[in-house]
Amino acid sequence: MAFTKSAVEELSSLHREPDWLRARRLTSFGIYEGLAVPDTKRQEDWRQVDLKGLDLEGYAPFQQPNGTAPLGALENVGATLRQRGTSPAVVAIAPELTRQGVIFMPLAEAARVHSELVQRYLFTGITPERDKFAALHAALFSGGSFLYVPDGVTIDDPLVSQFWSAGSGSAVLPHSLVIGGKGSRFQYVDEFLSADRQEAALASGSAEVFLEEGANVGYVALQHWSIKTWQFANQRFQLGRDSHLNALAIALGGQMARLRVEAILEGPGSTADLKGLFFGTGDQAFDFRTLQDHVGPHTTSDLLFKGALRDRAKSVYVGVVRVEPEARGSSSNQANRNLLLSEKAKATSEPILEILNNDILRCSHGATVGPVDPEHLFYLESRGIPHPVAERMLVQGFLGEVLDRIPVAQVREAVDQELAARIE
Amino acid sequence: MNTESTGKLTETMADFEIKDLRVSVEGREILKGVSLSVNKGEVHAVMGPNGSGKSTLSHTLMGHPNYKVISGQVLFKGKDILTLQPEQRAKLGMFLALQYPVVVPGITMSNFLRTAINAKRGYDGKDKSKAINVKEFRALLKDEMSVLRMDDSFLSRYVNEGFSGGEKKRAEILQMAVLKPEIAILDETDSGLDIDSIKFVSDAVNRMRGPELGVLIITHYTRVLKFIKPDYVHVLVNGEFVRSGGPELADWLEAKGYSEWVKEPAKAPAALEAR
Repeated sequence: MAFTKSAVEELSSLHREPDWLRARRLTSFGIYEGLAVPDTKRQEDWRQVDLKGLDLEGYAPFQQPNGTAPLGALENVGATLRQRGTSPAVVAIAPELTRQGVIFMPLAEAARVHSELVQRYLFTGITPERDKFAALHAALFSGGSFLYVPDGVTIDDPLVSQFWSAGSGSAVLPHSLVIGGKGSRFQYVDEFLSADRQEAALASGSAEVFLEEGANVGYVALQHWSIKTWQFANQRFQLGRDSHLNALAIALGGQMARLRVEAILEGPGSTADLKGLFFGTGDQAFDFRTLQDHVGPHTTSDLLFKGALRDRAKSVYVGVVRVEPEARGSSSNQANRNLLLSEKAKATSEPILEILNNDILRCSHGATVGPVDPEHLFYLESRGIPHPVAERMLVQGFLGEVLDRIPVAQVREAVDQELAARIE
Repeated sequence: MNTESTGKLTETMADFEIKDLRVSVEGREILKGVSLSVNKGEVHAVMGPNGSGKSTLSHTLMGHPNYKVISGQVLFKGKDILTLQPEQRAKLGMFLALQYPVVVPGITMSNFLRTAINAKRGYDGKDKSKAINVKEFRALLKDEMSVLRMDDSFLSRYVNEGFSGGEKKRAEILQMAVLKPEIAILDETDSGLDIDSIKFVSDAVNRMRGPELGVLIITHYTRVLKFIKPDYVHVLVNGEFVRSGGPELADWLEAKGYSEWVKEPAKAPAALEAR
């Protein structure tokens, strides 16, 4: 029960991967072995992260094929990919999308049939060197989607991947690779789920998304792992000239769930709208690190992370806005709003600004941490709405602004229902 | 207590009775013994200059947590409502139209109104037969919204978000119209309104007047009283009622202002009137 070189080889064989990928996995594993678990006192990026109780040796390296993903058809979607553990994924894609050249398949399969494309992009954004968990992810990722949308193609209905963890005590490390060609338009959803809400797991759920010139891409990640999952995930968005990104990260599960969201606004005129939503109960801990990296001129980013915590749940938000020397005329906004629903819930928020070019239009940030506004409560209660109902409505309203952005109605409703049940 | 007519001691309770109410805010006494009887079917205007305690009165009556009752009673339907939570007061039939309605992001007007109506009907999320259905809900809103000149788009907007001053006040009166209170307190509903909005709001309130509704209009200026004619006028200065009378007291105030007590007009400045 541990992460070994032979486990990496076994997994690669299971996926029938090409040699280049097997070699990359092994290189990444070497990096994993060479890196220590991050020092949460000394390493800036890991400060305030509580790794107590994490035993990396305690997890099986991957989930053996153990049945297909639970079925439950989604409506009004362009394509779906469902995968459970390392079992073969079930893919459904509208024929007209295939005709237009859209590629949507498990990443392992894409590594074989679209080897050159995958090789060019995979782990170039999220490199294994950044930390031990990223290295482990690159060495032992299993499951995940590959989506390629050719130049000029518009897809109206969202494409959805669902990754199920099923096998207590193992690592589950899906990775999605998304490439939006020039002028393409589409929305893509990654959903991460545990079959058993109590199963123990070490998870990621990472994505690298590349937007070529003028692409308009929506990306939603819904993290719904079990409450006994340690999650270390990275999302990285690379924005080309005049491209536009709408990203939404939702965190509901996890014992300690860490997510890094990085938007690299490289192309001049690119814009990124980054939203996050989290809801924690019990002893859940969330850790969010965001980066709005303005590399090119006239780039715009707008970030809003909102969350509500009850019981003893905790969250840490650290957001970096970086304006690089070439990024003249850029504009950025960052906001983190936290609602504390009990006295023992705790949220910390830290903005970090690194401005290397003063010729910027705007750079603003703000954070709030506090209970439900008593004036709001009074207003609702003065209309006869009982206190618990009023509080629930206010929390749902607070989160709803972000939730409304989920492009798939069924996913949105499922999240709504879960929130309603957990807020009570 | 009324001993006048028969000479014998009979207690004739008004429908809504404020008895010697003393209230403090942040340790400072604002209301210094206020008594007022309001019957259903009556419209009372409480007028006063800035800082006289008007808003303290309205908020205390509805149970805002920032206002601390030192002593006194407010009797309604056989209960001292000062011991009740705001939601219980509302259920009993009280309503407060706020001077500054708060913006509640993320909750649509429609959801807000429906939840409030359902709470009044005793729907607790279980017995669906108690909940208002879509058809009833629409029918209930349609007339009132047309009187208030509000279009359907209001319902899908978040509560008071992006509403103009006039729209907020109209939305308050819409809530009153659908919740059908027995005692309504209108806290400076006229302030900040253009003349058209005052008319729409007044029309809506006048439609609701009748034997089942008692109204307490709290206002600085006499202007709104031209549209909603009060039966009684009371002048509140420095936390006490200094004069009470019929509607003619409002005319007197319009001419004299509060000059007997402080230097403030009771008539809206011309600039405000023209807006």
